Amino acid sequence: MNTYTDLQLDALRELANIGSGNAGTALSQMLGRSVDISVPTAAVLPLPEAVAIAGEPDDLRYGVVVRVLGGFDAIVLLLFPEADAQTLCGIYGLELDTPDGFSLLGEVGNILGTSYINVLARMTSMALEPTPPQPVRDMLGAILQTVLVSRGDIEGALVLDSALMVEGEECSLSFLMLPAHGGIRQLLERLGL
Amino acid sequence: METVVRMGEAAASCTPADVLACIGLGSCIGLVLVDAPGGVAALAHVMLPEATQADPEQPPRFADLAVPFLLDQAEAHGARRARVRAVLVGGAAMFTFGGGQDIGARNEAAVRAGLRAAGITVAAAATGGSRGRTVRVHVGEQPSITVREAGGTDEQLFGARREGVAA
Repeated sequence: MNTYTDLQLDALRELANIGSGNAGTALSQMLGRSVDISVPTAAVLPLPEAVAIAGEPDDLRYGVVVRVLGGFDAIVLLLFPEADAQTLCGIYGLELDTPDGFSLLGEVGNILGTSYINVLARMTSMALEPTPPQPVRDMLGAILQTVLVSRGDIEGALVLDSALMVEGEECSLSFLMLPAHGGIRQLLERLGL
Repeated sequence: METVVRMGEAAASCTPADVLACIGLGSCIGLVLVDAPGGVAALAHVMLPEATQADPEQPPRFADLAVPFLLDQAEAHGARRARVRAVLVGGAAMFTFGGGQDIGARNEAAVRAGLRAAGITVAAAATGGSRGRTVRVHVGEQPSITVREAGGTDEQLFGARREGVAA
């Protein structure tokens, strides 16, 4: 399995911290509410364990997938439990399982994913380009499994995991950054690690 | 006892009331080999169409290696090859990642090719589409296989109807 030094993992965690901080600010501006951000974790996990990181595999999740192309290949994944997705839609007076509700989640994913990626691009002087967000409603295991396999690394996955909590709304979401292995090496080289 | 077969893993059983399950299959395939009269079943969680190395640690990861591997497992638990049939679940295309690489469809094609080469008939399949699935194999004298989508109920895919399960 791919391994990284503690120093490298610390640097990646710090990138995730800055990325999710930027995303949290964007979400806060969008909603007009304060957003708290957890301290991110960075871990290299075997795929079956990476699939289990965000909950039970048969839990229903709403998700938004944004693939990053350019300087390095990665996938940014936002995951909302059903009740939290409902809360988020409710802030805008939208119903969850409607085209408008789905579109709102996609837009939240777009704004958060893009702000996360933009700050990484700035810090590493890499050109990073997000692809259009893809909203999904499915089993957590199916979402994560498909995303992980599509990255091409079958031994293990580096998972940068943070949580965003909207104040006063009981709404939280998981924010996962899943870089492909080759991409992480490039990223670390840029940082001189 | 329920055994959850995770990505790249496989399990077999001939113990009545055992359950083998792949939970949340997206582009992966849950490949079931079942000898119904013999009460033997085996389940593999296949991730990719082809092996990327010669002698990988976990053969069930790859469709081309999973079929012979799983057949060995089933036979080791008493299955008779001539009676073994296959059931496929999964292989969905949940996202379009621009590259146009539909791993789910490629997985299914590779598993079917492996089954053809081994002379095994596909008895039932719930594959393709854009939704994730969970498959459960109920081992016993009359094995039964159910499939479920997110937020849905168990649907009978193969074998004896089970109480409390909508067919």
